[in-house]
Amino acid sequence: MRAAAPILRLAGIRKSYGAVEALKGIDLAVDAGEVVAVCGDNGAGKSTLIRVAAGALEPSAGAVEFEGEPIALGSPLDALRAGIATIYQDLALAPRLTIWQNVFIGAELKNRLGLLDKRRMRVNAARYLARLRIELSDVNRAVERLSGGQRQAVAIARALHWEARLVIMDEPTAALGVTESARVLDLIRSLRDGGTAVVLISHNMADIVAVATRVAVLKTGVKIYDAPLGDLTADDLAHMIMTGTPPAPRA
Amino acid sequence: MSQRVEHTLACYGTAIAAAAIFVLFAVAAPNFIHISNLLEILKDSSFLAILGLGFSLSFVTAELDLSFANICSLAAVVTGGLIHEEVSPWLAVLAGLVTGIAGGALNGFLVTRLKIPSLIATLGTASAANGLAFAETGGVAFVGRWDPTFLGVARGSVLGIPNLVLWTAVAAALVQFLLTATRLGMRMIFVGEADEAARLAGVKVRWMKFMGLSLSGLTAGFVAVLLTAHLNSAAPNMAGDFLLTSIAAVLVGMTMFQPGRVNVPGTLLGAFMIGMLGNGLVLLGAPYYVQDILIGVILVASVGLSAATLKKAAFGL
Repeated sequence: MRAAAPILRLAGIRKSYGAVEALKGIDLAVDAGEVVAVCGDNGAGKSTLIRVAAGALEPSAGAVEFEGEPIALGSPLDALRAGIATIYQDLALAPRLTIWQNVFIGAELKNRLGLLDKRRMRVNAARYLARLRIELSDVNRAVERLSGGQRQAVAIARALHWEARLVIMDEPTAALGVTESARVLDLIRSLRDGGTAVVLISHNMADIVAVATRVAVLKTGVKIYDAPLGDLTADDLAHMIMTGTPPAPRA
Repeated sequence: MSQRVEHTLACYGTAIAAAAIFVLFAVAAPNFIHISNLLEILKDSSFLAILGLGFSLSFVTAELDLSFANICSLAAVVTGGLIHEEVSPWLAVLAGLVTGIAGGALNGFLVTRLKIPSLIATLGTASAANGLAFAETGGVAFVGRWDPTFLGVARGSVLGIPNLVLWTAVAAALVQFLLTATRLGMRMIFVGEADEAARLAGVKVRWMKFMGLSLSGLTAGFVAVLLTAHLNSAAPNMAGDFLLTSIAAVLVGMTMFQPGRVNVPGTLLGAFMIGMLGNGLVLLGAPYYVQDILIGVILVASVGLSAATLKKAAFGL
């Protein structure tokens, strides 16, 4: 039972592209400290759904509530200001720029004279990364010199700076090796432990089972399953995605 | 080769080459090392240095401004024309600056609102500015006995340092300040590096590009005032030769200090290198066309060394 209003509530979200209806009335609620995995096959509507929640796409119908209040998300900036940060698959970073520049872009810290407060941005960038248990001694390092997992951490640090209460992550481990993927899953856990809600889009069922507290499965624009992870296995999820049939209750 | 040597060569190789050329001219060309000649080089380099600094403000947002030289010429004939008509020189200066920023803002509008690639939009603006400059003058130059106060803007000196050199230092300091100390500068650079990432982080990408192109135009207007005062005349294509040399200064600058990146010290040294080459070759008695050939070689070589940035600005690749 939910004790308070969820962080995010999507109600009856529909999105059409011409004659094609990508989302057919999706409801989804996400609580603080929850990791909700949204999964489904290609074309299920996952990306469309998160783009609506991220303010990158306007729904054809339906309502979005954030922390119990109706909210209009006209742009990614609206979502960021509200407290919703999205980490896209390509991470949306500038590889040749430094870690601190990437963390603070769009929400730079200024001193009393209105100029960039670089010292404070460097200190805070290191602090955010430390919160994520990422050891990066030099925040002046260019992002292109970081590993895939470290880059995810920089993207998440940006979300921390925006004080996001909800972080949407699109395929965060898609391009990573085993060790780096494990590190990113640790980052997700540390966000969850800090009370941040996470919506995780992934094709990797093992990752979902490793970190999700709840799973929502979409198929051709319809939500066919939404329940706590419980004892669902990666195979159960894969079966559900392929057949569109929820697993039979275990004896 | 050790990594340290490689890094040093990457950052300072061009500067070392410039120093070597300097020594070569000092040894081979009579009077090259004389203080008055060195000040002359600095004065000659100042126009292309300031225009290069302006160009770099659009370039840093990944847009190419190929119109600044023609906008500069147009602003010069507007300024010179008004002075010729005995309008207040300061009003004429203001008109020159407004012409520059208007040309830049037009580029910004064409690129960010009408979505015309900057390569094409600024070529169009350049052609229109060129036509307007000829229309304004009827194809001849404005020359006269102009207000000495106005001429002093570019011709005077302070403590022996020519005003043109001081203006270059002021322009360089302002551009450096903008790019490294202000939010606008940080966002302009970010947009140039990754515009979609900037947009998703809430940065107004089109506004940043508009600002870059407008500031390039403003700089062209500023140089127009200096050029008009320095030459005591205004002609419809008086800044035309600065197009390639100023771009070359920026591109040469991108091969040093922060390789592959637009940077103010690099642009200044690049401009000085080009000015020094022209001066030294003349002193050595080389035919005038040798300088053009060398500029061409330098341009191609520096583009080769900073190709990725240029390709993105020119073709969005």
